[in-house]
Amino acid sequence: MAAAAACSGDTASIAARAPCAFSPSDCRYLALSGPDGRLRVWDTPSSRLQHEYVPSAHLSAACTCLAWAPPGGARQSPSKEGPLRKKRKSEAAEAGTQYDLLAIGTAVGSILLYSTVKGELQSKLNVGHDNRINCVRWHQDNGCLYSCSDDKNIVEWNAQTCKVKCKWKGDNSSVNSLCISPDGKMLLSAGRTIKLWDLETKEIYRHFTGHATAVSSLTFITVRPPNDNQPFDGITGLYFMSGAVCDRLLSVWQVRTDRKEKNAVMSFAVTDEPICVDLTMSETKEEPVKLAVVCRDGQLHLFEHILNGYCKKPLTSNCIIQIATPGKGSNSIPKPVPILAAAFCSDKQSLLLVYGNTLQPIIERVSLSTNESHVCLIRDIQKTLTLKTEMAVTKVKTPVVSSEAKVLVPGVRGHRAAAIKTTPSEAVETESKRKPGNEEESIEDRLGAMDIDVKKVKRSGGLPQADSFAVLLVQGLESNDSDILNKVLQTKKESAIKATVARMPVHAVIPLLHEITKRLHGHPYSASQMTPWLKAVLTIHASYLSTLPDLVPQLGMLYQFMESRIKTLQKLSRLHGKLFLLITQVAALEKIENVSDVARTAKLVYEEESSEEDSDDEMAAEKDSDENWDEDDENNEDDREEKSDNEQEMAVDKEGINGDSDLDPENESEEE
Amino acid sequence: MVVQEQLRVVRCGGSKLTGSRAVFSAEAKYLLCASGDYVKVYSTATEECVHILQGHTDLVTGVQLNPQNHLQLYSCSLDGTIKLWDFMDGILIKTFVVGYKLFSFYALSGFEDLVFVIIPRNDDETTDSFQLVSVKLTKAPDQKVEAKELSLILDDIDWSPKCTAFEREGEYVASVRGLQLTVYLFKKKKTFRFPLSATSKKGGNNFFTCVACHPREDCIASGHRDGKIRLWRNFNHKREYTFSTLHWHHDAVMDLAFSVEGTSLLSGGVESVLVQWRDASNHKKEFLPRLGCTIEYITASPDGTFYCTSHSDNKITIIHSNLRVSAIIQGLVKGNDIKTGLVVDPKTKALVLNGRPGHLQFYSLQSDKHLYNLDIVQQEHIHQLGLNQFELVKAAFNANGNWLATVEQREEKETELELQMKVWEYDEQTQSFTLNTRINMPHDNHITALCFRDTDESEHVTPTLVTAGMDGQFKVWVLQVDSDVEEQTASWTCDFVGSYHNYQATNCCFSEDGSLLAVSFEETVTVWDSETWDLKCTFCHPPGKIQNLCFGRLSCSKYLLGTTNNGFVCCWNLLSCILEWSAQLNVAVLQIDPLSENIAAVSCLSKNSDLFVFKPNEPRPLCIQRNVCRGNVQCAVFIPRDVPESIDAEKHQWLNRSQLYLLTQTQELMTFSTKSPEERLTPSRKQLAVEDSLPVTPFFLLLGKHRHQKQSKGDAEAGKVTVHNQLPQESPAVKELLHTPAHVLPSASFLCPIFINSLLISKEIKSTEEAADEVEMTSEEAEDESDEEMDLAEIKQDAQPMDFLSDIAHKLSKSQEKQLRKIRKMDYTWVSAL
Repeated sequence: MAAAAACSGDTASIAARAPCAFSPSDCRYLALSGPDGRLRVWDTPSSRLQHEYVPSAHLSAACTCLAWAPPGGARQSPSKEGPLRKKRKSEAAEAGTQYDLLAIGTAVGSILLYSTVKGELQSKLNVGHDNRINCVRWHQDNGCLYSCSDDKNIVEWNAQTCKVKCKWKGDNSSVNSLCISPDGKMLLSAGRTIKLWDLETKEIYRHFTGHATAVSSLTFITVRPPNDNQPFDGITGLYFMSGAVCDRLLSVWQVRTDRKEKNAVMSFAVTDEPICVDLTMSETKEEPVKLAVVCRDGQLHLFEHILNGYCKKPLTSNCIIQIATPGKGSNSIPKPVPILAAAFCSDKQSLLLVYGNTLQPIIERVSLSTNESHVCLIRDIQKTLTLKTEMAVTKVKTPVVSSEAKVLVPGVRGHRAAAIKTTPSEAVETESKRKPGNEEESIEDRLGAMDIDVKKVKRSGGLPQADSFAVLLVQGLESNDSDILNKVLQTKKESAIKATVARMPVHAVIPLLHEITKRLHGHPYSASQMTPWLKAVLTIHASYLSTLPDLVPQLGMLYQFMESRIKTLQKLSRLHGKLFLLITQVAALEKIENVSDVARTAKLVYEEESSEEDSDDEMAAEKDSDENWDEDDENNEDDREEKSDNEQEMAVDKEGINGDSDLDPENESEEE
Repeated sequence: MVVQEQLRVVRCGGSKLTGSRAVFSAEAKYLLCASGDYVKVYSTATEECVHILQGHTDLVTGVQLNPQNHLQLYSCSLDGTIKLWDFMDGILIKTFVVGYKLFSFYALSGFEDLVFVIIPRNDDETTDSFQLVSVKLTKAPDQKVEAKELSLILDDIDWSPKCTAFEREGEYVASVRGLQLTVYLFKKKKTFRFPLSATSKKGGNNFFTCVACHPREDCIASGHRDGKIRLWRNFNHKREYTFSTLHWHHDAVMDLAFSVEGTSLLSGGVESVLVQWRDASNHKKEFLPRLGCTIEYITASPDGTFYCTSHSDNKITIIHSNLRVSAIIQGLVKGNDIKTGLVVDPKTKALVLNGRPGHLQFYSLQSDKHLYNLDIVQQEHIHQLGLNQFELVKAAFNANGNWLATVEQREEKETELELQMKVWEYDEQTQSFTLNTRINMPHDNHITALCFRDTDESEHVTPTLVTAGMDGQFKVWVLQVDSDVEEQTASWTCDFVGSYHNYQATNCCFSEDGSLLAVSFEETVTVWDSETWDLKCTFCHPPGKIQNLCFGRLSCSKYLLGTTNNGFVCCWNLLSCILEWSAQLNVAVLQIDPLSENIAAVSCLSKNSDLFVFKPNEPRPLCIQRNVCRGNVQCAVFIPRDVPESIDAEKHQWLNRSQLYLLTQTQELMTFSTKSPEERLTPSRKQLAVEDSLPVTPFFLLLGKHRHQKQSKGDAEAGKVTVHNQLPQESPAVKELLHTPAHVLPSASFLCPIFINSLLISKEIKSTEEAADEVEMTSEEAEDESDEEMDLAEIKQDAQPMDFLSDIAHKLSKSQEKQLRKIRKMDYTWVSAL
């Protein structure tokens, strides 16, 4: 017959798909048998391989189906009524029951009972079937195991003794699927037709038409009848669902009192053959049944439906979930990633997704939001897997630290708030401080307009440029050429640095400062290289800098950076820095007057005139050290007076206080 | 149903696994280790706990396999008992009451009924001198036996099990204490003492730390505090002893172990490197580095395939003998100090807290299992004492778990503080956290609090993070898109810096809807508008400084609660800006349930902690639980349940939606349960009991079939012989003997006469037949070997073999005894010829 032919063809396709099973009630483990015949148990919360089991005959007797033992193991007590039993179940889950036994059906007709806690085979159920096992199901209460096979038989096993309790012919062709009713008294089997058996008498209770092809999944959807007013005998009124290979419809059937109705009540339409079905039972009548169907094409369909009788049209899914690679970089086209299995978490609000390949699946918990009808999750499988393999043994996960991560060091914009407004009064203060700056601008403009440009042209033309460092530096700064800059900035000779900075045109000062700031943020080594440069620039061009109206925004970053660096040092080092700046200023004044033939006189003259204002302005930049500055000044003078008295003692003192002081003796002499 | 509604404090997360040396079962299938009051049986293949042996009432201090029967386990405990277990089935076989605190336990194959324990000298808790005594275990058949026959072996020794070691056969025992090695020879009954002189250079650092005995040769290895290992030989002569030195460790040697054959010596210490010394040579050594934490104990499996190292962070590493880590059994990592407090990861519902140094550990409470450590600091941790390294001090998740903020700090001296804040984004694509922003020195002083603003995903509010520091500022960080970079990447930048009279900011928290931010500055609580960052109002309750701060939830969202260090709980009404109520209660921990209005407060007045659960708008607390646990509670957290539980009693309804977890100073994790202990049965009890019926190996598949056929053939041939040999087989004594598992039988010397008797009962059978009997017996025994597994299941039926056998012994009448005597006199030498 055509149907039979289809069946035989389809067994191959069943064999191709990897049997997998979640541990019951909390889905803590996933057992997955790969195409290589090895059974792997994955820990779902950490998505980690728990252990691997290689059956001794894994190549010849491949695993065809899996079933976890029910939670709580074998309860010898007779099954109780619905609500009571449910309660007990939830408590068992609370106590952290482990699901130890895993029944593995093989292609040669034997069933293996494997202990996942001990990691070893517990027993082997041998003489029952002589052909491929299609489905294994545990009875939820009495520790019995049911299996069906290609040899047309259904076998009831006593799992404790590993003996066959009962064996009967289930169909004229192979029996493909089994399901035990919620009350544990009935058994559904699917061969060519779906049959409902009474487990006590092993007689057929109902017939259903079934599918044209082999039924791959069979589950009860409800545990109680749709209307409560009728007396409930444990089976009548219940819905169950079946899916078959090569069938894009999942059919829902109802066990009715009248024996007439043999056809499906309704059906769910999916895009491809269903390979994994999970559902949440509804507790109340109003609560819809949630159904997750993983199809062969790797898509997941979510249904939400309240079961209430007959429906002719196939229902379509509320939500489709797909997974794809990001498609960035080397593989430019996003590739779909197949979903292998799915299960609802115990809170019914989230879904465990298993995707990737069967050898290295990725397990992820996704929370459900059924607002959108089509969801595509983008997952980078390769990266996830490499991260996972690192974690496999050590249990240490290393989060990704890429160079793209933003680094905020003190001084960089964003490390501090743009405007610090602790109290309103201070905010006003900052504003008021800015205002004089704006006024100042006009002076600078005037200055610039007056002579600087002219001066520059003159100087560059007139001077013999034997030492090319200054020129190089300017060129480097203008062209932003890192090679040239490196060449210049890597000089360590202090005199060369001083000379270069001294000869540098003023307009290059600010770019140089920015360059230096940038390098200071970098490697500590380069920072230490930059400090003599910074020192030289600040000492030699302090006067120019102080004329700049926008000094605060220009050098704010540098200031903050230095501030944070200096914070850990003693106040003395700050004092030292300021003293040094002052002293060299004095010394440089004389020197420049004597030596320099650079025609910068006009500017210097101007600066001298306005020196008081300018220094004020600079102080505005260092607003919170204003007072210090003044005090320091006074101190300095005091110091100097003292020094003239006993200079040596002072020097010793300073060395003593500032252990690693970078005060060199030369400066002391200069001071003289 | 009424009885079960009692609230009990339940420990979870398990106790320390590494309190004593772990032990491998004979075939290295199981690892047995003491864990608090329990002994846990782990499978070495799957890292899963197979059985929990419960019965001791105090800390278990030592476990060891019964040298006479490798399926049994001895355990000793501070409760003064030694218990004998069948660890395969998790059954307590016997209890020996010694009556002293037992600190360490040794059982040797050379002494059948003697075991050795270390007890305090005067049975005095304060004493620091201990003695090694032998205990005679009486053979009485009772479940509970007094074992009071103690005899002193060595006096004034160290309590630690590491410091005493026995030679395998029981020739001698070596013990170290301070600078002295003591060896006691059992045969000569002599004690030798070998003192070391303290090295003068660095002051007495060659103290002994541990000792191990070579299994084959007369050689003792001792570890020292300066990292040296000394191998002592020829120690049975006082004068002529020699020792050689091995030196690699730079810090104290924590434990030593010889491999089974004694060819290699294993040592470990603070460096967390396992060193394998081959042939006791300084040059042939191999290393297994980066084991994570200080190695406390080392064990080698009896079959030589595995080693295991117990680490101070509650971890046992199982190492293959070729120095490859094969499994890790990890409990809740117990570091020095839980600075991050308890945090919940909203994505996995896992508990997050400090783990290994520089790591965050994720612990699944549903399965009570350690998930993984997340490496935050990402710097090599240098295992050396007294080294200041980066440590993780704060961690916070935002509401949906997409953002994680961590703060790490290193403090060399008072002034030199290094701070780093990292903000991690959960990358769905790679399923891992990715560093988004790293902020150096976010504050100039310690960060005291860190919190995200909880916002719904639906409203598109920029994620906001607030840090409060001891530098008197709180900073608001927001996620901003960088415009200057081409690829529009979002990163965190500082949006606002607030301060209040330069007081230290101590706490910060957002209201439920995220519209208000409360920051406490020492005595004052300031409330800020989270849109404009304006100071709205201030509250204070002088003179107490604010210790905890939280907003009410749901119907109580108009309340702000704070606790002060002078013992007040204050509740302010945000609408009217007045103090609603205050109560005198010295609260150490204040925690709000995210799913309800309930607030849990733990007060520590004296040694014990009390728990109060209340709603801010109700005058009476929902629940008062006194004396929750020993010691102070350090932190607490509510964890939402997956499935809301239905607890009927009104008193405990606050536990319906979330569960409260407490962490004590001793880093024990506690929770509350309304279930009676029976309902929280150990998993092992609920496993499906299934018979083992297995062709065990492929080898058996090949040979077993063959043998089976042969046997059946043999049976068929011997059929006529067996027919008239039925008689002795029917003897119940023989049957019992053959069908009872070996480890529940009395000793062979006890059984032998009965067995012989039973063979000799019938006088009609001639001696030739007896010979045939014996042949029959042997073949039966061979059969038994294969069926041994089957028999295990029949234990229940054979519960009273002892009584049965003794009955038989009584049944022998006087005439029979006479005959026996006759038979005894007969010459049986011909039997041996057979």
